[in-house]
Amino acid sequence: MFITVIQALSEGFLETLKLFAVTLVGALPLGLVISFGSMSRFTPLRWLSRFVVWVFRGTPLMLQLIIIFYVPGFVLPQNPWAISGGRFWAAAVAFIINYACYFSEIYRGGIEGVPKGQQEAGQVLGMTKSQIFFKVTLLQMIKRIVPPMSNEIITLVKDTSIARIISLQELIYAGYAFLKGSHGYSGLIWPLFFTGVYYLAFTGLLTLLFARIEKKMRYFGG
Amino acid sequence: MKKFLSLLTAVLMLVGCLAACSAPGAGDVAYVKEKGTLVVGITVFEPMDYQDADGNWIGFDAEMAALFAEKLGVKAEFQIIEWDNKAFELEGKTIDVVWNGMTLTDEVKAAMACSNAYCNNQQIVIVKKDVADQYKTVDSVKGLKFAVEAGSAGKKQVEALGAQFVEVADQATALSEVKAGTSDAAVIDSLMAGAMVGEGTGYADLMYTVGLNDEEYGVGFRKGSDLVAELNKFFKETYADGTMMELAEKYGVQASIIEQK
Repeated sequence: MFITVIQALSEGFLETLKLFAVTLVGALPLGLVISFGSMSRFTPLRWLSRFVVWVFRGTPLMLQLIIIFYVPGFVLPQNPWAISGGRFWAAAVAFIINYACYFSEIYRGGIEGVPKGQQEAGQVLGMTKSQIFFKVTLLQMIKRIVPPMSNEIITLVKDTSIARIISLQELIYAGYAFLKGSHGYSGLIWPLFFTGVYYLAFTGLLTLLFARIEKKMRYFGG
Repeated sequence: MKKFLSLLTAVLMLVGCLAACSAPGAGDVAYVKEKGTLVVGITVFEPMDYQDADGNWIGFDAEMAALFAEKLGVKAEFQIIEWDNKAFELEGKTIDVVWNGMTLTDEVKAAMACSNAYCNNQQIVIVKKDVADQYKTVDSVKGLKFAVEAGSAGKKQVEALGAQFVEVADQATALSEVKAGTSDAAVIDSLMAGAMVGEGTGYADLMYTVGLNDEEYGVGFRKGSDLVAELNKFFKETYADGTMMELAEKYGVQASIIEQK
């Protein structure tokens, strides 16, 4: 029984990891784009970016999942998500946009936190605008945003469980299935509780990783 | 003139689409045949839709659905859904049919196109075994705190009783509430209770006592779907040739099957 449960939970955990990884790959760069939008001197773009951030931070991720997954099918003759793996990609889109909005505000804080004098110093040294951004601002921003980003990323690990509202069969789902009947067992509660071990192990690993990154960054001083 | 014609065509196509959208299920038979799959929305529900040790979908409903898909010349695909979202899943075309021991309530009939009833069911009260003797009548359970599946037929029965209750995600969760002692009693389908509660099951320390009402199971499609007629025909044929009863006996629900004529 234990082996069966572990196998089923591990399959669920793989789905959780997949959603986690795809969200990071999508949201890390998209967040930077949105943060540029939010800081743009072109007013309509700035307003648009801030509006998007407001909508996606201001509504529950669960609601976003439901809307992104079901609404296309209400208006189109065929739901684009009604393919195999469609639930996963719908969840991925919702998570990427949602997390990009949170990341964008962290980036913005990091970029705006770099003293203006440094950019001016760059100009005096004859650096181009992009040189200043990549070699002066971005490097220091990365160092500043590590603690808040690690916070968000660890939250993301656990938020993946929200995707079960559109029946994505992630880790919590796999644990829950043993209550209802799965792999020939029903009425088992402990697999659900046991999923906590997976989350703890994974977030523990991430915590160590972020501690190392912070330590490495320290070499910039300050 | 050419431009005008293409514009006119575009407008007509748009109107055509809108007309099609207003009756979302009208071309369902063609739609399902074209994509080659019948996506069956289920929750895990013994003895209707559940998995064997190898992960295959079995159960009375699951096998009937597979046969029906075969008759249409398509493949049945089983998709686990959140029960609350069943109407969304149909209208959003992420599933084609809800075939999961679904009680034909007024809400269900309003939200989807339903087949003929094929199975009798009862909403039944589940309590812990050691106190079951005290709860043999409908009156005796009125003071209990219930756990019921959100949007289920059981919830309606508890409301009618006037008892205190909490809504949980599904019937299995309602059972685990009783097992964990967070609720005194659950109300679930008698067919499920027969398979999941009592000696030799995962809920050996629970017991079913009093039944609250009688009701019927049906299969749900998108509103206006032409699959309803196909399924009713299929039910008639399989009832007449004995296939339906044979499967019912395999899963122990033969006493509940409704004659299809």
